[in-house]
Amino acid sequence: MTRRTLLLGCISMPFAWLGCSSKPTPGQQVVDLSIASDGDLLVFKPDALTCPSGARVHLTFHHEGKFLSARHDWVLTYPDKLAALSQQLLDSCGDFAKNDPRIIAVTPLADKGGIVTTDFIAPAPGDYPFLCSTHPEDMRGVLHVTE
Amino acid sequence: MKRAHIKIVLRTIGMVFLVVAPLAAQLKSPDDVKRGLTLLVQVSNDFKRQIGAKNFQRIPHEYMEYMEAADALRSTIKDEPSAFKAKVETRLKAAVAAYQTVSDMSSKMPDVDKLMAEHAKAVTAMNALFDLFPTDLRPDPNLPPPGRGGRRGGN
Repeated sequence: MTRRTLLLGCISMPFAWLGCSSKPTPGQQVVDLSIASDGDLLVFKPDALTCPSGARVHLTFHHEGKFLSARHDWVLTYPDKLAALSQQLLDSCGDFAKNDPRIIAVTPLADKGGIVTTDFIAPAPGDYPFLCSTHPEDMRGVLHVTE
Repeated sequence: MKRAHIKIVLRTIGMVFLVVAPLAAQLKSPDDVKRGLTLLVQVSNDFKRQIGAKNFQRIPHEYMEYMEAADALRSTIKDEPSAFKAKVETRLKAAVAAYQTVSDMSSKMPDVDKLMAEHAKAVTAMNALFDLFPTDLRPDPNLPPPGRGGRRGGN
């Protein structure tokens, strides 16, 4: 690698980063949502969230467990995909492909006490189920996407 | 004389109620205890699900979580009288041992029916533990914890 290539790489990196970071477009609504596990219980608190369609959503999930080593995340899916996705997650102990088209948004897994986030564009108006990939049958809720 | 006997019997019964009832009914942190008991059921249900899904490699992890849930319960009763804690500890250890048997079996004999039968024995041991607590604090071991937005359902 020549010095020129290295220099060009260093100069272009911040621009590339700026280009990749998906900032909200002018006029786009930005919404911060927060959700947590109910301590170590397999329950989302709250179990219903609301945001407007098209908004740029920044969701924060806090694993509020103190005792159990179970890990949790937050996975947003489509209503008609919930059953199949849940069954697959159950059968595979929570494994899924990163580019699974059934998944709209997902946070990384959080250990007890951990905080993880995800950013996504709110889909078309409707009710979208969310769940935890490691406890797909118990930890569930609904994201209400309004007009 | 008879009247004196009756008085003694009534006093004895009263004393028994005075001593035993507070142990169960006047726990210092009933909400925390309820949560601790619910965690045991929660992990027990996960045990059952993993057996049903034939995720046998996952079962030792469930056993680890059961021990963590047992520690959670211990922490909720740490300020209770020693006699009560001793009773709980005896039955809690029995329940933990029963779930360890399920865990051990899962690696040596990964058979769904046999593991389910052993799991049922473990639930019985857990029920014996729950008998030490007031009825309103006991979760139903046959129901999962209130997930799915508060929905409750059977296994």
